[in-house]
Amino acid sequence: MSRVNPKFATELSKYGSDDFNACFNCGNCTATCSLSTADSSFPREMIRYATLGLEDDIKASLKPWECYYCGECSAECPRQASPGELMMSLRRYLTAQYDWTGFSGLMYKSLHVSLAAFILTFVGVIVFVASVGFELEKMMHFGHLFEMIAIGTVGLLILMPNVARMWYFTILKPKVKVPLMKYVKSMGELFIHMFTQKRALGCDDNQFRWFEHFILVIGYLSLLFTTVVLNWFGSPYLFVIILGYVMSAIVFVVTIDFVSSRIKQKKQVSKHSQPSDIFFVVWLFLMGLTAFMVRLFIDLDILETNKWLYIFHLTVLVQWALIIVPFGKWTHFLYRSFAMYFAKLKEK
Amino acid sequence: MKQRIGVYICHCGGNISDYVDVEELGKMFHQEENVVVSKDVMFACADSNQKDMVSDIQANNLDAIVVCSCSPKLHLHTFKNVAIRAGLNPSNYVQVNIREQCSWPHSDRPREATVKAAGLIRAGINRVSYSESLENIELSVKKSALVIGAGVSGMKAAIDLARSGNEVFLIEKDYFVGGRVAQKEILFPTNQNGKEVVAALYNEMKKFPNITIFTGATVEKVSGSLGNFNVDIKVKPRYINPNADKKAVKRAMDECPVNVHDDFNLGLIERKAIYKNYPEALPDVPVVVAEALKDATDFTGKFASTLNLNEEAQTLSLIAGSVLVTTGYDHYQPKEGEFGYKTISNVVTLPELNRLMEMNSGKLVYNGKKINSVAFIYCVGSRQTKGDNKYCSRQCCTSTIHTSLQLKEKYKDIQTYHLYRDIRTYGKQELIYAESSKQGDLYFKYEEKEMPVVASPSLSKGKGKDKVLIKVKDYLTAKKEMEIEADLVVLVTGMVAREDATHISELFKIPIGRDKFFNEIHPKLKPVETVIKGVYIGGTCQGPKNVSESVQSSLAGASKITALLKSGTVSVDPIIARVNADACTWCGKCSDVCDYTAIKEVLFGNKHVAGVNKAVCTGCGICAPVCPENAIEIAQYTDNEIESMIDGFMMDFDIKEKGAGETEDVLTPPSGGGGQAMKEYPQVWREILAGMTDEKNTIPEIAANSRLASELVTFHLMTMNKYGVVVPAGMDEKETYYYYKQPPKSPKGGF
Repeated sequence: MSRVNPKFATELSKYGSDDFNACFNCGNCTATCSLSTADSSFPREMIRYATLGLEDDIKASLKPWECYYCGECSAECPRQASPGELMMSLRRYLTAQYDWTGFSGLMYKSLHVSLAAFILTFVGVIVFVASVGFELEKMMHFGHLFEMIAIGTVGLLILMPNVARMWYFTILKPKVKVPLMKYVKSMGELFIHMFTQKRALGCDDNQFRWFEHFILVIGYLSLLFTTVVLNWFGSPYLFVIILGYVMSAIVFVVTIDFVSSRIKQKKQVSKHSQPSDIFFVVWLFLMGLTAFMVRLFIDLDILETNKWLYIFHLTVLVQWALIIVPFGKWTHFLYRSFAMYFAKLKEK
Repeated sequence: MKQRIGVYICHCGGNISDYVDVEELGKMFHQEENVVVSKDVMFACADSNQKDMVSDIQANNLDAIVVCSCSPKLHLHTFKNVAIRAGLNPSNYVQVNIREQCSWPHSDRPREATVKAAGLIRAGINRVSYSESLENIELSVKKSALVIGAGVSGMKAAIDLARSGNEVFLIEKDYFVGGRVAQKEILFPTNQNGKEVVAALYNEMKKFPNITIFTGATVEKVSGSLGNFNVDIKVKPRYINPNADKKAVKRAMDECPVNVHDDFNLGLIERKAIYKNYPEALPDVPVVVAEALKDATDFTGKFASTLNLNEEAQTLSLIAGSVLVTTGYDHYQPKEGEFGYKTISNVVTLPELNRLMEMNSGKLVYNGKKINSVAFIYCVGSRQTKGDNKYCSRQCCTSTIHTSLQLKEKYKDIQTYHLYRDIRTYGKQELIYAESSKQGDLYFKYEEKEMPVVASPSLSKGKGKDKVLIKVKDYLTAKKEMEIEADLVVLVTGMVAREDATHISELFKIPIGRDKFFNEIHPKLKPVETVIKGVYIGGTCQGPKNVSESVQSSLAGASKITALLKSGTVSVDPIIARVNADACTWCGKCSDVCDYTAIKEVLFGNKHVAGVNKAVCTGCGICAPVCPENAIEIAQYTDNEIESMIDGFMMDFDIKEKGAGETEDVLTPPSGGGGQAMKEYPQVWREILAGMTDEKNTIPEIAANSRLASELVTFHLMTMNKYGVVVPAGMDEKETYYYYKQPPKSPKGGF
């Protein structure tokens, strides 16, 4: 027995989608979706849940994560109800639900809160660099230290509990019985999807987008590894230096395409952009670009005279690590792969 | 007796002559007594043949003709007109159907088909020899129409009838005109107020001096028939002194101390015992419920000069040439407990909600509570597979969705839930369905076998304890069971026939369907005509319709009546009952069985005999067999005609087998004996078989081999297949055509 809650539509519209009420349940979206199967069919079911406001069913569902937004459903919809965008909004909504701090939800729903967070972190960085007297060495030392501490704390305090909550909503609360061995056996699924996004290949005509995204993920993770573990900015080794250049270049070059398609709005997937989507791609671009420039300035030996660049890079880094990673769109990296893992667990 | 008869036997291209030996028959009937002309013709209906027939009739001075061709449904009038053109009375023409009755059904037995055709033709010749020249019956008609029911349909029809110069009597059972439309605040799709539409029509009617409106009037008695219906109507009193001062009447209305049930508002509120349905109701004279004021002597005393409580009902007699019935429909009244109706206070019907909405302007309040959410349950009293009302009421989906849009527009924050079985917003109405779902109305689909359950508010606990709880298995969410909380449950009730429809039906003899609505003769070809000549139906008395459709049908009825009455006379078919006054003893048996009350006792000289009303009789013939004296007969179906037909059909024929002796051409029967020899199959079958060169062939291949048109091959293969002359043998590689082959010869089989 599910209680119908029509007010949920208003709540969900704050996460982006507001056309889904036009749906008249024809099911064209599900029919056209190349990922939907007889056992796990979407998006019609999720649209129905959203329309009727069946929050518990939505929270228990992994289907929003099983969609990789090719946008065919939105293109085929006879009522222009944008089912693809609804799935996207549900992912934002679920991200907010998984987040125990509630900060994700605030940021998704209010641009003001997001902007305030960005401004606050910027002020924080300025105050800090002023406190060390704008000394480049201290700033860079802090920057490196910050990266390591931030990864540790954000991961431990926010991301891990959130994944645990996701597990609670989707496995424990709906009383899905999973033997312990299955958790171990299915572990492969988690890593395959985390590093390859294999499922996205199932979308029709999606090979290029998948490849772009795959390169970006590899580039981003490698850049993270190069800067944090190999200490790119301080490394004397040519291999590390070149690796960093290549990886940061990959990040900002690929993101240019992502940003420009969001501006052009030609494809279904980039037609509807929420601030969170824009922040994510723009900051990723800035991360890659500023890191590239910082190392370039170091190699040209002009960073000392252009400290502003490092301060800019540090600001982007801090905002990335404290806002976008824990509360922003970055989390889809985790939730998508865990969703595939949990879906495997739910399989009979 | 006709003695110069012409017989024409048609080949119908081959449709007949491929199986029936028409040439032989043509020769045979040439020798028949009284037959002057006997011919076989390629197409009897062709213009050239019609011309030949006319010149034959004139040259040979023929006095009757028989055409042996297809069904009279197709060409009866064609050949009647030939007779008329040649100066022959059309009653001296008989059509014999040797295509549908001989060549087509007996294509497997051509000889027998020919024998049967011969019998039928001789029957036709015998019949026509007894035929009489009959003239159409001319009836004089009064150019006046009676319209029953002053709803939108009736008023629109009355205006059209009056504009065409007819005298119109419009009678309305209620004291005010407008019917159901006056009860609707806003009409789809124009968003006009129903009352304004009614007022506009009323004022237009007032411009026509030839329209007389009777309100509070009912039909009491009907006699007469097409052209001259005598109708007695009873006009109930209003109990208002016609000379009373308008202000005094108004004061009496305001001061009236007694309240009565308010029918117009469906009993949701009470009204004064001196009332108008609504302030602008027309005619602009209130009505007194005299019964209710019996004890209020102080009040009646005070207004003694205004009220006229002793007024009595009047009975008036009208003469109408034709009648249009536009009596409308009743709302389905849910049974007590049906979805909580009457047992749960927050359950109302859609018509009731529409009245509530008109009475509540700022916010919607029912039972003292503000309504924030409304759940509609569709198809209540309609589409009951096991109940009485199996039909769809057609207009309720649109009406409900339109109401839902109005709810949002008028009261802003109202959430609506729609529990439907199928949404039937046909035509342009589909647009509001889209609008409704876009505004956030929620739709749930239920099935008749799993009806939604409405639970009393007292059962729900906690926060929503004033709300009704509806449980529904939602077929749009994989039959998940849903709980919906709503302040008000609205039952979308369908249309049913008026409770007193049977009364009207009995008075005018209009047939009633299984759904209890009035029946037209034919839904497509005679959509507003009834089997009673001169009585037409329009609007929702005929079945569920929306306002536009109702007006369309009543206007169709009005046009029919105008056309009928235009010339002042009506010509009706002469095929009716006739009484032999010498033989009749007036036992009354014929009158008892007559469904149309066409037979009455009349005086013939000094003798009491049966008299047939020519305008009413339909020639159904039920009276003829019950007459003990054999004194009644139907024109064109007299005993002489029928008996001679039987005699003619029973005569023996000597028909030679065609092709006998042509032994070299004889094919062995494919199913190995038993039935007919293959030589008796038509030539075209043999050609088709000859075209089947290989083991198996498709239709295009056979057509090419035998040089026949592929349609012809298709047509004949179907029959050949039916009788086992060919059998299908799978599909070709492209899966475009079926193969056919000749069946293996077996000793068994045959047909």
